[in-house]
Amino acid sequence: MRLHEHEAADLFEMEGIPVPKRGLAESTEKALQVAGEIGYPVMVKAQVLAGGRGLAGGVQSVATPEALEDCAGCLLDSDIKGLPVRKLLICEQAEVLQELYVGVTVDGYHGKPVIVASKQGGVRIEEVARRTPQNIAKLALEPGADLYPYQARNLLAGLGVSRQLLITCADVAVKLYRVFMRTEALIAEINPLAVLSNERVLAVDAVLELDNAVLPKLNYSTASRLERMENDLERKGRQIGVTYVDLDGDIGLISSGAGLGMASMDIVGKRMRPANFLETGGGITAELLYKSMALIMMKKGLRAVFINLYGGINPIHEGAKGVVRYIKDHKVRLPIVAKALGNRQEETWEILRAAGVHVVTEAATEKAVDKLFDILDARSRPMNPSINR
Amino acid sequence: MAVLINKDTRVIVQGITGRIGSTQTRWMLDYHTNVVAGVTPGRGGATVEGVPVFDTVREAVKETGANASVFFVPAFFVLDAFYETVDAGVDLIVVVPEHVPVHDVMKMRVRARKRKVFALGPTSPGILVPGIGKMGIMPAAMFTPGRVGIVSRSGTLSYEFAGILSEAGVGQSAVLGIGADPVVLTSLPEILKLFDDDEDTDAVIIVGEVGGDQEERAARFIQRHMKKPVAAYVAGKFTPPGKHMGHAGAIVRGSRGTVTGKHEAFQAAGVATLESPMAVVAWAATHRLR
Repeated sequence: MRLHEHEAADLFEMEGIPVPKRGLAESTEKALQVAGEIGYPVMVKAQVLAGGRGLAGGVQSVATPEALEDCAGCLLDSDIKGLPVRKLLICEQAEVLQELYVGVTVDGYHGKPVIVASKQGGVRIEEVARRTPQNIAKLALEPGADLYPYQARNLLAGLGVSRQLLITCADVAVKLYRVFMRTEALIAEINPLAVLSNERVLAVDAVLELDNAVLPKLNYSTASRLERMENDLERKGRQIGVTYVDLDGDIGLISSGAGLGMASMDIVGKRMRPANFLETGGGITAELLYKSMALIMMKKGLRAVFINLYGGINPIHEGAKGVVRYIKDHKVRLPIVAKALGNRQEETWEILRAAGVHVVTEAATEKAVDKLFDILDARSRPMNPSINR
Repeated sequence: MAVLINKDTRVIVQGITGRIGSTQTRWMLDYHTNVVAGVTPGRGGATVEGVPVFDTVREAVKETGANASVFFVPAFFVLDAFYETVDAGVDLIVVVPEHVPVHDVMKMRVRARKRKVFALGPTSPGILVPGIGKMGIMPAAMFTPGRVGIVSRSGTLSYEFAGILSEAGVGQSAVLGIGADPVVLTSLPEILKLFDDDEDTDAVIIVGEVGGDQEERAARFIQRHMKKPVAAYVAGKFTPPGKHMGHAGAIVRGSRGTVTGKHEAFQAAGVATLESPMAVVAWAATHRLR
């Protein structure tokens, strides 16, 4: 789960990282009040969970209350990268001499935390990494180990940071690493780490991506996670305990695994477009599949449903009961094609067939999707007039 | 000699008294797996599906001579159970649970390497050697004995590939899932080495997915070291960038980890890339695999 900038900045500050004076505003009035306390000029930053926010116009500098009124009014009504702006962070604007980058992430392949630093921070850091990798320094640490200041100094000195600035930046890196370890995060990042006069530094932006598996331990409620999801259907998916991704096609898709779901999307995508992607994980019950059916059917303009399940850890015969109960309760007329294989497959097929579901018993998802295409092709073909009286 | 599981493998089921643990123990026994003990702290002395339950892994090993373990314990207890199992001298561990904290997995990985323990997961479907046994949740109906190895990042897709091959009359030497989390205990190249060294395996199929760089690393390994033919499928061509598709491993970040990038890496290494799961049948035919 990605935290909002203001939440991450609060955690960074608690660890002793220098962050700007700031205040949160949900209205223009509040923005004016906060800016009055901080003193102009201020930075106005839309609190949306999207990368590239700055380049999309979500970060602006204003020098006067009038300019702030215009800017806040405009941003609070807008979308940034498709996400509605509900809150603004009003920050002190310091005079920046140089922008650095410091981040901590997980090297997935080697299973180690990695500190990444650059003297060329700012919105184009990814371009820097791609074009001039020599301007990026990395250090992998042993899992569970501390980052010592000397390690951070070595890393930064290698980039040409020196004197008092070296000590100040190393201190920020050590503290950022502590936040990363304490919150068991996936990413902790300061971009830019602004260098001010007198060799002071300021974490002008704050990014913290937490591991969903750790949220209960960190006391983040389910509600706090749900409120971050902007899509209603995706939020409902989280509520019932499945992964739901909203897409723009017209074939509803339920699968019992992420890999299988992605492969199903690829195969459906050869000729048609999936309307959604619902992945149950390993917790299938009749109830869960009933709710899953209800969720994918909420999508408007659906032409058919494809259900792709394996009975490994999942009791698919139970899942089938849920699907069938939904079909009966709601008198579903849409064609439904199901492939369900594994433990108790014969029982599962019988349950589904009794409710009019087209069951494919071969292993290849392509064969099931071909069946789905055939059914839809037959439906869209004009009927023979001699039969259609 | 089969990959990882053989006639001498004596399996512990950790979390055997749970709903999933007990059901899966039944399926593993039905597949003639040598399940010798269960462990659930506080439930020692019980019996599940005829298997004796112990309070600690150490007791289970001492009493039954167990040398392998499969986990069905809640995600937050996995780290503790893993250290316990390594300390008890077990050298093959399958971690089935999903949602294990990534920082825990990083620590487990270090411990496993230090103690030369072979471990799969988390979020692994386990390993199945047709005709010998299985540790994990793979549905037996999909598999037949033969000489093709399958290694997959996704559980369900490993069943799909085995099922398609079985229907086409092509059996498998071993099928295993490394797990789909951002950090896994054993990486693709390490599994490929097992298959390359295994005299019962003639060819290997990699079932990958979008995100991470396991496939790119595997391609490099194949180019440098592997002798047997390899084919690869990568799921997620139409996965919208940046969307979480169930497991965090499948997040597209920048251009790295895309299906196209992985295909290019495989092709450069001389690996056949499969456009769809069913294409594996034609590939198996050209290599005369049975």
